[in-house]
Amino acid sequence: MIELRDIRKVFNEGKPHALTAVDGVSLILDARAVTVLQGPSGSGKTTLLSLVGCMARPTEGRIMLEDREITSLPERFLTDVRRRTFGFIFQQFNLVKGISALENVMLPAYPLGERHASLKKRARGLLDLFGILPRESSRAEWLSGGEAQRTAICRALINDPKIIIADEPTAHLDTKLSREFMDIVGRLKAEQKTVIIASHDPLVYGSSVVDRVITMRDGKIEAAGR
Amino acid sequence: MGNWFERQRNIIDFTLSSLVRRKGKNLALLLVYTLLVFLLASVMFFTHALRKEASLVLQGAPEMVVQRMAAGRHELVPRRYLGMIKGIKGVSGARGRLWGYYFDPVMSANYTMVVPEDHPLGAGSISIGQGISRSRLARVGDFIPFRRYDGTPMVLTVREVLTTGSELVSSDLILVSEGDFRKLFGMAPDLYTDIVLSVRNAKEVATAAQKVQKLLPDTRPIMKSEILRTYDTIFDWRSGIIVVILSSAVLAFIIFAWDKASGLSAEERKEIGILKAIGWETSDVLLMKFWEGAAVSLSSFLAGVLFAYIHVFFTPVMLFEPVLKGWSTLYPSFKLVPFISPYQVAMLFFLTVVPYTVATIVPSWRAATIDPDSVMRS
Amino acid sequence: MILHPAIIALLVASILIAALVLYAFWYGVKILRSWDLRSGSSLQLELERRTYLISTVLAYVFGFQIASLFLLIYTADSLSTLFTGAMCAAGTFNVNAYGYPLLVLKLINFLLAGLWLIVNYADNQAYDYPLIRKKYALLLLLGPFIVLETFLQARYFLGMRPDVITSCCGSLFSVNSSGVAADLASLPAVPLQYAFTAIMAAAIALGVAVAVTGRGGYALFVAAGMAFIIGIASLISFISPAVYELPTHHCPFCVLQKEYGYIGYLFYAALLGGAVTGMGAGGLNPFRSVPSLVVIIPSLQRKLAFISILFHIFTSLLTLAAVFRSNLRW
Repeated sequence: MIELRDIRKVFNEGKPHALTAVDGVSLILDARAVTVLQGPSGSGKTTLLSLVGCMARPTEGRIMLEDREITSLPERFLTDVRRRTFGFIFQQFNLVKGISALENVMLPAYPLGERHASLKKRARGLLDLFGILPRESSRAEWLSGGEAQRTAICRALINDPKIIIADEPTAHLDTKLSREFMDIVGRLKAEQKTVIIASHDPLVYGSSVVDRVITMRDGKIEAAGR
Repeated sequence: MGNWFERQRNIIDFTLSSLVRRKGKNLALLLVYTLLVFLLASVMFFTHALRKEASLVLQGAPEMVVQRMAAGRHELVPRRYLGMIKGIKGVSGARGRLWGYYFDPVMSANYTMVVPEDHPLGAGSISIGQGISRSRLARVGDFIPFRRYDGTPMVLTVREVLTTGSELVSSDLILVSEGDFRKLFGMAPDLYTDIVLSVRNAKEVATAAQKVQKLLPDTRPIMKSEILRTYDTIFDWRSGIIVVILSSAVLAFIIFAWDKASGLSAEERKEIGILKAIGWETSDVLLMKFWEGAAVSLSSFLAGVLFAYIHVFFTPVMLFEPVLKGWSTLYPSFKLVPFISPYQVAMLFFLTVVPYTVATIVPSWRAATIDPDSVMRS
Repeated sequence: MILHPAIIALLVASILIAALVLYAFWYGVKILRSWDLRSGSSLQLELERRTYLISTVLAYVFGFQIASLFLLIYTADSLSTLFTGAMCAAGTFNVNAYGYPLLVLKLINFLLAGLWLIVNYADNQAYDYPLIRKKYALLLLLGPFIVLETFLQARYFLGMRPDVITSCCGSLFSVNSSGVAADLASLPAVPLQYAFTAIMAAAIALGVAVAVTGRGGYALFVAAGMAFIIGIASLISFISPAVYELPTHHCPFCVLQKEYGYIGYLFYAALLGGAVTGMGAGGLNPFRSVPSLVVIIPSLQRKLAFISILFHIFTSLLTLAAVFRSNLRW
């Protein structure tokens, strides 16, 4: 469970071009559910997602992660919480070019100091689970859209996170691959994972696996969808 | 601890593969870095080898040599000086030496003629150095004609070809008997080239020198320690000058390294952003940058040192030879004994790796503090 | 001044180190003035990021500091041929008034940088930067010291005149002359041997106490500091004569030479290592009660104490070996 209390995020604070991206959001996100943040671009949903995912600290307000206050943690602890709790899937998948799909999947686990061999075994297990093991040694830029998507999902899962965060995951996918993505989300939900997605794709927020849709506009919550 | 070790290993793995991926960008840096190490290392190896050579030569030299000076020039020493010097308290022995140079018009070369003290040669026979043996094709038993001071010929027989460790000393050497030496150069029997003296207590060499100077005001005592010191100063000074000149190159290199390190390409910036986003912490990226610097430094350093080593000790072409060797301090051609010490490596490290590292600290830190949410914002 | 590549290397390195430390100093002042962990302001975020930079800078400074300490001694040793009367580093350091102060300051700075890194390490383990002000206050102390060291080093090398007649270890560390060095040399060997044995035993025992029970931190701090000082005094007074097998030769630098198998490097490394870890373990004692460090500090203290035990045992064994293998007897 994640609780947000009066969250505000201002970029370029105190400067003429200051921008309030998130403006006084209070919210409770349930565990083991699929939540979609919906709204036009610039509505603050991606910023809110990055705050929930401990990627940035709010300017004001508090975030509680399972009763632990994480807002005032120094960066190194925040990162530690983040990498053990969250898995991230980005808009353009953001795979590192020039290295293999397998290495891309292993990348988030490198700083945790797991033995290379056992890490490799787990990564290959994940690739196998998503049916792309034959492509393990292909470079990231040689993967097809669907393969890149599944590689990115494997990467998000490598540290066995409780919560998956996805930012506009279907923006660059065709309908077939978008449906496939939502099927995978369904599978993750069945495995007791919490999934939080920011998207303005009807295919996503209209999907049957979604438990709750939160609509945002101008940094505020328009509809909490309960 | 295993955890710590694995973390380092994983990050090193990734760093190395990233370096290889960006060969093009790093190649220029590696080349410049290697060149700089090479230049500095060449200077150091060369001067050090020369110093070493000089001190080898001087090892067997007497503690003190006394020369007589006349009108500011080196003059022959009369025999009576020997007795006077022997009378000085603390001096344990004094001996007149005979040596000089002989110009060989056939080969247009200068030979060093020395009357040896320890193995007396019979009249009419000589021992020659390998250089002379090679150039005059002279072997044991051959005759070599010489021209006396008055133009009359004099033939001497080769008894022995000298073999010693340092070619620098013996290459152009001819050992000759005292009688033949005096006959060849027309030197009166009561004159010597100079006097060597030994002192009972090594600590009193300086005092003895002062006494000699006082007793015989027209002489100049030369102490071995002074020669050594002069050599050291000359070589240190010369290599120091070159290092100062090269320090502008070091400065240029620092700016270049700084520029390379801070000029992250959009690709790299994005890559670090991804790493941060998927759970790498600032110190993980700093660690990666540390290993990156270590890999670049280590490979350039080793390559530079290796090339310099080959250059100085195994190839004839020397970049700085004319400046470093000087004009007449040493003979023009000889082989150097390969030598490398941890001290030289430490000096090189401080002149190259330390400036490079300092230049990259801030840019590395800047790269490492890219916001993790930057990939989501773009 | 003497133009020697090593001198240029040392001067360049010390100027770079001083520049780095001044840079860290500048942000240290900023952190001391504006640090507010509860604030999510961009200034606070910026300062938190700077702490990474400062830690990195100090880690490099520490590394360069120890390397340059040995390079300095080695250089002084190799320059000794240039000075009448100098036979090793002892004489070269004596050619002007800056040599020995420089050496002492270099040792102090090494210890300070080491302690800073230990405090920093402890602080980084806690989630609320509990020692931030203390460690940056320590940085403010270290800054001027490093700058002074650079200044002394520059004055030392620039003021070198090769024609200076200096007195070397023979007279400097001889029983019959006066001055601090001579006083050290003329310290009676036998009482100092007892003192050395006692302080090493104390440092090891206190190390064990801290490592096992977690108590005795302050005492370990004092003992490790004393062990360092008495260790150096013993080196001059009775260990080096044993190494050289010459009762009158008290030089603390000749032991670094090749003739003696570079044993000096081991000895100094063990002494410095024991001092940094022992004093570090003890120096953390006042912070044991900080709530966020309650778990972290005792375990860190144990580790450091354990390492300091190893260093002190090594120092003792090295000394025993040197004294008993020697043919010199009192």
